[in-house]
Amino acid sequence: MAVCIAVIAKENYPLYIRSVPTENELKFHYTVHTSLDVVDEKISAMGKALVDQRELYLGLLYPTEDYKVYGYVTNSKVKFVMVVDSSNTALRDNEIRSMFRKLHNSYTDIMCNPFYNPGDCIHSRAFDNMVTSMMMQVC
Amino acid sequence: MSRQAGRGTESKKMSSELFTLTYGALVTQLCKDYENDEDVNKQLDKMGYNIGVRLIEDFLARSSVGRCHDFRETADVIAKVAFKMYLGITPSITNWSPAGDEFSLILENNPLVDFVELPDNHSSLIYSNLLCGVLRGALEMVQMAVDVKFVQDTLKGDSVTEIRMKFIRRIEDNLPVGEE
Repeated sequence: MAVCIAVIAKENYPLYIRSVPTENELKFHYTVHTSLDVVDEKISAMGKALVDQRELYLGLLYPTEDYKVYGYVTNSKVKFVMVVDSSNTALRDNEIRSMFRKLHNSYTDIMCNPFYNPGDCIHSRAFDNMVTSMMMQVC
Repeated sequence: MSRQAGRGTESKKMSSELFTLTYGALVTQLCKDYENDEDVNKQLDKMGYNIGVRLIEDFLARSSVGRCHDFRETADVIAKVAFKMYLGITPSITNWSPAGDEFSLILENNPLVDFVELPDNHSSLIYSNLLCGVLRGALEMVQMAVDVKFVQDTLKGDSVTEIRMKFIRRIEDNLPVGEE
């Protein structure tokens, strides 16, 4: 269902980015990169409210012709960005939310791996598998 | 010979994440301090040994198990009482050697390795080697020399974690005169 999933560090550099293998992977990188501005905007717009309600899910960041971009930001300001095919209309907001939740849990597990240094790129088989399963699901 | 009040046989609760992360921090620090994995394994074993020789006192006082008459009984106590008490798991005992001096402890899930993924450059690290040391140290204090080693590890892609224990010999104490 998802065509591209990215994890962005607090300082806005990518920790992890993966997309379905196509000829223009770069386009997804570009899409994700563009979305970061929207993420920042959303965070500052929500400002206090976000902190108070602990709502981590940012919702739809922006739609493009073919894709929809969703965002999620943890309390430590790590961002998850997911690009979804627009043609997949069956995908509900709730499902996106639970996918992000799963992503977040998986990310937490990585952080707890003693061999992972916070801030490094993510090279984890478990995380890879989880992301792959998310990309496969309803494809 | 009772221990102080409030410290009976009941097991105390502890955050498993804290426990796992503490052990993880210990192992990664050792990996930084030593050049190669063999040295880390050795160090973990040594630390485990030092834990074991102390822990056995605590174990005997709290569990009130009696003397074991053969190695099978020892195996049962280790799996069903000791592991339960200190790690909250009950490994199963299998693969007895015909002579009855060697068996395997199968750990379905090892609380030490939650979250852990071994990086490629540490392929020969035996992450949970501390356990071997603990078992060796503890049994040495009750006059049993054993050889303990990991033969399977979920971290290395095996489906279960298997610890192999081999009885080597009884350590004969020079008992004081007049004691049995």
